Amino acid sequence: MKALIHAELYKLLRQSKTWYALAALLLIEGVILFSAYFQGKNILDILLDNLKRSFYFEGSLLNGNLLVYLILNTLWFHLPLILMIIVSGSLTAEYKDRTLQTMLLQPVSKWKFILSKYLVAIGFTLAVVGLLAITSFALSYSLFGKGDLIVYINTLNFFPSGDAFVRLQYAFASGALSMIFFSVSSLTLAVIFREATKTWIVSALFLILSNLLLKVDFGNNIFNRIFFAKLNDTWQNFFYFNINWTMVYTNSLLLCGYSLLFMAIGIVLFHKKDIG
Amino acid sequence: MKWRLLIWSFLYCFATEAQGIDPDLWRIKQRMDSILQFSANLKLNVDISFINMPAKYARMNYTKGKPVKFSSEDFVMIPKRGLDFSLNSLMEFPFITVPRGEVARNGKKYKAINIIPTDNRADFSIALLLLDLQHNRVAETEINTKKDGTYNLLLQYENSSKILPEQVEVNFEIEKIRIPLNFMGKDTDIDRKKMRSEGPKSGKIFLQISNYQIRY
Repeated sequence: MKALIHAELYKLLRQSKTWYALAALLLIEGVILFSAYFQGKNILDILLDNLKRSFYFEGSLLNGNLLVYLILNTLWFHLPLILMIIVSGSLTAEYKDRTLQTMLLQPVSKWKFILSKYLVAIGFTLAVVGLLAITSFALSYSLFGKGDLIVYINTLNFFPSGDAFVRLQYAFASGALSMIFFSVSSLTLAVIFREATKTWIVSALFLILSNLLLKVDFGNNIFNRIFFAKLNDTWQNFFYFNINWTMVYTNSLLLCGYSLLFMAIGIVLFHKKDIG
Repeated sequence: MKWRLLIWSFLYCFATEAQGIDPDLWRIKQRMDSILQFSANLKLNVDISFINMPAKYARMNYTKGKPVKFSSEDFVMIPKRGLDFSLNSLMEFPFITVPRGEVARNGKKYKAINIIPTDNRADFSIALLLLDLQHNRVAETEINTKKDGTYNLLLQYENSSKILPEQVEVNFEIEKIRIPLNFMGKDTDIDRKKMRSEGPKSGKIFLQISNYQIRY
């Protein structure tokens, strides 16, 4: 199993599209950062508009913490899209190049082979989210400094800089679970569709639908709470003034459960399907 | 005719005197003006229904004849009214005072007077001051501004000899903001008119002022 994981990791890092994807993500992050800077000015103007009647403000809210928060808001759509292309591509490319057949001619168990792909996909996703978290903080803080974070979620919430930093880290960790879910589901879709273009289209559709369904009220509280699309917004819980940890833990466990379910479906289907 | 003229002259002088500056207010103002400079530590607690903000700390510096300056490492919201202890902002332009009798607060009696500006440049239309004549200081102020609603200030002092307050409670009106959830996310439009549709709310700021360093 360890050898399989090493081999999968080697293949992932050897393929040029992985590095193109990382470069694309860093480029997107830079663009988001600068657009967030101008978006941030407008948002602060709106948020503080009526407060200006009663207060003078001392200190700036347009700082690195606000920009990381704005990056987070935009990142959770672009990032899974690129992750899904890379992760699903790791299997569809093997179908296309027929390396899968060569691989499975060796004394390798099918389920171990696909499980190693899932594990590498999860590791890769975590590494990418970690890289983006580090670069987001480094770029935002070095260019725009630290300061209080202002967030509007039903109420205007102000978080001191240290508290904001901790909450943003939690948000990245929570977002990583969503990214793992999308990476895992794209690999399962690759098992089902085999062909790269079809898999990418279905994966993109899955991501878009998940984003659209996030805002839909299904009229049933339980369904609204446990439906997978609704769980991808869990990271926002860290920006309520009082964090609802029960909801965070429940949502995170559910998201892990969905990821395991999709993984199990993928492993079973791969095991049953003929490779040829 | 001469009698009539005499009576009119007397009435005019009386009326002018009645609408001049209240001597008690003037005495308190002069006491405040004896302070050339002061600095103090400020702790601000905001009590507004739609704002969650932890306690904030700042340093305030006052120099006679100049606006109060604030400095802080945090982001702080300083109320526009409530920290002008010198009464300069109320007396910047010509005004008249009108006595309103005595008002009781917590078992104590205070002299109530209205300050009414006679110059259009003043940013308030009328102010009510409760004067603590025993200790020569202001106990409460209600300022009706022209643009920013009404401010009510309650001042508390550490002891009877203090000239500057230790605690100030600022009550004011503020419009509720309404912004969609995930306002910072994608595809979200912000409707300013809708945001303001809920009407004004009341807000409070509690100021704790300590470590005064006063230069007379």
